[in-house]
Amino acid sequence: MGSCAECSTWVYGGQLTNGCPPVYTSSSHIVVLKFAGLVGHNRKISSLKIGGRRRRRMIVNAAAATEKLQNGIAELYDESSGIWEDIWGDHMHHGFYDPGSDVSESDHRLAQIRMIEESLRFASVSDDSADNSLQKPRKIVDVGCGIGGSSRYLARKYEAECLGITLSPVQAQRAQALAAAQGLVGKVSFQVADALNQPFPDGKFDLVWSMESGEHMPDKAKFVNELARVAAPGGTIIIITWCHRDLSPSEESLTPQETALLNKICDAYYLPAWFSIADYIKLLQSLSLEDIKAADWSEFVAPFWPAVIRSALTWRGITSLLRSGWKTMKGALAMPLMVEGYKKGLIKFAIITCRKPAS
Amino acid sequence: MRLLTHNMLSSNIKGVTNGFPLRIEAEKVVEKTVDFNADFLKNMFAKVEWNALVEASKTMGYFELPDNVESSMLESDEFLQKFHHALLELHLEEGALICPETGRKFPVSKGIPNMLLHEDEV
Repeated sequence: MGSCAECSTWVYGGQLTNGCPPVYTSSSHIVVLKFAGLVGHNRKISSLKIGGRRRRRMIVNAAAATEKLQNGIAELYDESSGIWEDIWGDHMHHGFYDPGSDVSESDHRLAQIRMIEESLRFASVSDDSADNSLQKPRKIVDVGCGIGGSSRYLARKYEAECLGITLSPVQAQRAQALAAAQGLVGKVSFQVADALNQPFPDGKFDLVWSMESGEHMPDKAKFVNELARVAAPGGTIIIITWCHRDLSPSEESLTPQETALLNKICDAYYLPAWFSIADYIKLLQSLSLEDIKAADWSEFVAPFWPAVIRSALTWRGITSLLRSGWKTMKGALAMPLMVEGYKKGLIKFAIITCRKPAS
Repeated sequence: MRLLTHNMLSSNIKGVTNGFPLRIEAEKVVEKTVDFNADFLKNMFAKVEWNALVEASKTMGYFELPDNVESSMLESDEFLQKFHHALLELHLEEGALICPETGRKFPVSKGIPNMLLHEDEV
């Protein structure tokens, strides 16, 4: 444990050491070092000194690597959003299912909507319009909004204004077109923007919503900081994201096999280093956020990836994939890895919520 | 981009103390009809930065909004219609949003602002 040599982030894991006292580097800087080709994929790397000119080169390479990651994410979604929407509709997230239930193909859309509702319920976001109408969110930000499925749903549900941000210009355009088609032009808007540098003043949003976008964020501390910054006093933050299992007290990192599996998934989906639920909780606590709640919902999403795989193997799925780009195909080929990760208890589907203090 | 959105955007370039409101460079403004909803407008009124809205609407070619307002004006249907029009029906399709301190332009293309910062602005 220590603070990152490059960015002063408090580090919960991921250290570089040359055998002498360790130099701590935040997971984001290990990730950008990875993308810059400077280090291997393990969280614990030995025999790497940082100092002087090499450190400056790493800083320049780190910025370039972050941009490379952002471009990769934007291109992946520019390429694949259409094919996803064509087969699955406008919600680009897991469905919520009763464990052990039989799920037919038509249930998935309802399950995706149920995921939104269960998340709001978990975070105790007011639902009762008769009572507590003051507490219904008025301004909502959808961080990593995709083609705006959540934005439109939340804006309609709460009759609120919702702003969505995404790195993908194609997604933003599509999100806007869908909003216009659904008569929501007055309520939702979409911007190309970076979740790590949100283009909003402080404290404006009653509800800060991040549905399955956190896994793309290279600097989790910055990501959570921005969520907290733009939340209004008393506002609610809801993060639904992919995590790896919590480390036990005796562990400093995941096993090499686990790391190898996650790295393959990271490569396919443009994901930087993963956090555990415990890591997120520590971050939220360090920002003095209140009512922190978290849960592992892996058992409620189990039917999802097998269903996505089945949809990809249909005639429509295969022909769409073959017509799409390489990034999409690589993502599709990586889907069984997600199933493997869940089965091994390595990947967790997590919900983490909290409230910004009122004063 | 409607002015309701513009009212929420700011420039967070490193070193900027107050990046709100963004100035507007309007190349193409389109008027789009949006359903009138008085309750929505009344809810938004409390949270709108009024001066920013008035100035922005003038840049977009609409000069009907009063410079000064008070909540009693929400009783007037005529005022609500003007508020509705400025807030929701004026769309910047092409142009730019300009940081008030650095002059940096954030492009708006097909109605979508691109607010991504460059490496040296973070």
